[in-house]
Amino acid sequence: MSYKSLDPQDFLVSADTITAPCWSTLTNPETSLYTSSVQVAGTSGNYYLNVYNNDPSTNSSSEIQFNISYGNAFGSGSLLYDPGINGLSPTRTVYGQWRNLIYGDENTQFSFSTVSPTQQDFYAISIDRARFKESLLPGSLTLLLYSASKQITLTDDSLTSTTVSYCDAGRVFNIISGSNGIATATNTLGAINTGMTVSGSYGLFLPDIGTIILNASALDLVHASGGISLNTQRSSNTNNANPIRLYSTASGRIGLTTGSYTSSFSLNSQETITSDFVFCRARNAEFNYTENPSFISGSTGAVLYDLFVNSPTTYITTVGLYNDSNELLAVAKLSKPLKKDFTKEALVRVKLDF
Amino acid sequence: MGYLNNQIITVDAILTKKGREALAKNDGSFRITQFSLSDDEIDYTLFNPNNPSGSAYYGQAIEGMPLLEAFPDETQIMKYLLTTLPRGTAKMPIINIGYTNIVLKQGASLSITPQTLNYLGGSQTYETSGYNFTIGDVRTMSTFNGVGINTNTSTALNSTTTLGTNVSKTVIGTTLNMTGTTINTLFGNQTQLQTVLIVQGRDSGARVTIPITITKIS
Repeated sequence: MSYKSLDPQDFLVSADTITAPCWSTLTNPETSLYTSSVQVAGTSGNYYLNVYNNDPSTNSSSEIQFNISYGNAFGSGSLLYDPGINGLSPTRTVYGQWRNLIYGDENTQFSFSTVSPTQQDFYAISIDRARFKESLLPGSLTLLLYSASKQITLTDDSLTSTTVSYCDAGRVFNIISGSNGIATATNTLGAINTGMTVSGSYGLFLPDIGTIILNASALDLVHASGGISLNTQRSSNTNNANPIRLYSTASGRIGLTTGSYTSSFSLNSQETITSDFVFCRARNAEFNYTENPSFISGSTGAVLYDLFVNSPTTYITTVGLYNDSNELLAVAKLSKPLKKDFTKEALVRVKLDF
Repeated sequence: MGYLNNQIITVDAILTKKGREALAKNDGSFRITQFSLSDDEIDYTLFNPNNPSGSAYYGQAIEGMPLLEAFPDETQIMKYLLTTLPRGTAKMPIINIGYTNIVLKQGASLSITPQTLNYLGGSQTYETSGYNFTIGDVRTMSTFNGVGINTNTSTALNSTTTLGTNVSKTVIGTTLNMTGTTINTLFGNQTQLQTVLIVQGRDSGARVTIPITITKIS
């Protein structure tokens, strides 16, 4: 017999979580960021700003890492679609788009922790799908934003919060001052809670849709109050290009900057790999002969050496997995031949990834 | 006293063309139920039972050899299966189908009834479980049926599915009935099509591969 049936106990389904930095370089932090003047000048530039790992004008292999959009409940900060229809502009579209995704309700206002800012606007950093894979890893965010000679470091509160909150976009955590999921206790004027501001938290961390919502009102605060004086522009029927304001006009840095800071954006993706393990067992009396033509001498079928009559030796190189119809569905090769004879048993674990 | 090596060998498997086809069909045929081992690439003439250093060195030329990666073509891998036979077996089972190569005209039919020599000490010529007949390119045959083994599996395998790609087909039986394709477009500018027929004993594991040529008649 050449085929051996597998028992139900020979199968194991395993799901392993793989985490890695989100960026194309697979390293944290991402310190080299670029935008495209072509994209900014295009139609999509009215809605969002693509951020690349290399300069797309000189490097054809540059890849989008994330994009930044700005949403405003009143449509401020961008040109109106139609000057005669007040309030309908790309920023209003972006606001409604994210509100629909996050709250699933056209009447709900964005709130950050317990505060619902008067200025209903935000910045959305949406990680490229190929970068965040299945979801973002809570507790892995560290984002530096600069303001002149001052800086703030933002993270999510997933490691310190005792309960996980859910919205229409899955899990939601507050973005707070700190790094790697740990809040930093700062003397921020009027802060409603540790690591927050008078305008509430710095935003929302939505790992299941790969998005970071930043509270524009919090970022607009002066540094003593926890902000970076971002000075978000909210003019009516004017293209204020707020996403570029958050990104910075200096290449490679997120946030307003005039110094020689290096940008720093650390974030990990998370992915579940499901594997099937099949345990193939060859008992001592099994698989000790072979139909290999070099094992046979001549056309009579006699084994090559007399030694093989009572002490046959074979070498396993390949494992084949079959269905009931003897159709070969999957194969696995060993790295080197595995000796098999009547004194040896072999156990080979075959891994099938899906 | 030393430590025993109790490591499990872990290897990553790849799907064969047939495996991908079964997965895509989503009809339950991608269900692994059995395994087999093979020693493709091993040349047993490298085994030296006269090595002066002793029996531990008989397989010296084989045991350290590097192996190739797996091929996804199911007809090009798992060629030589390891088999379970009683200790003391002096002659290995051999399949005889009466042909060393087959040439079929378009639309011509042929029946093959294999025999297994040296099987069960030579007391039996035909294998109880029958034979697997695998054609390398299913498009070259308009009929490719196995008869003589009446199980649900063997019946299901005889069903015809129109496939536009070069994949293998396996049927089960004691006798194979096949007819060369009548479709001219498969030939293109050529006058003949070539593929292989693999016959494998389901009990003995013995295997023989025969080249098949289909010749164009018009």
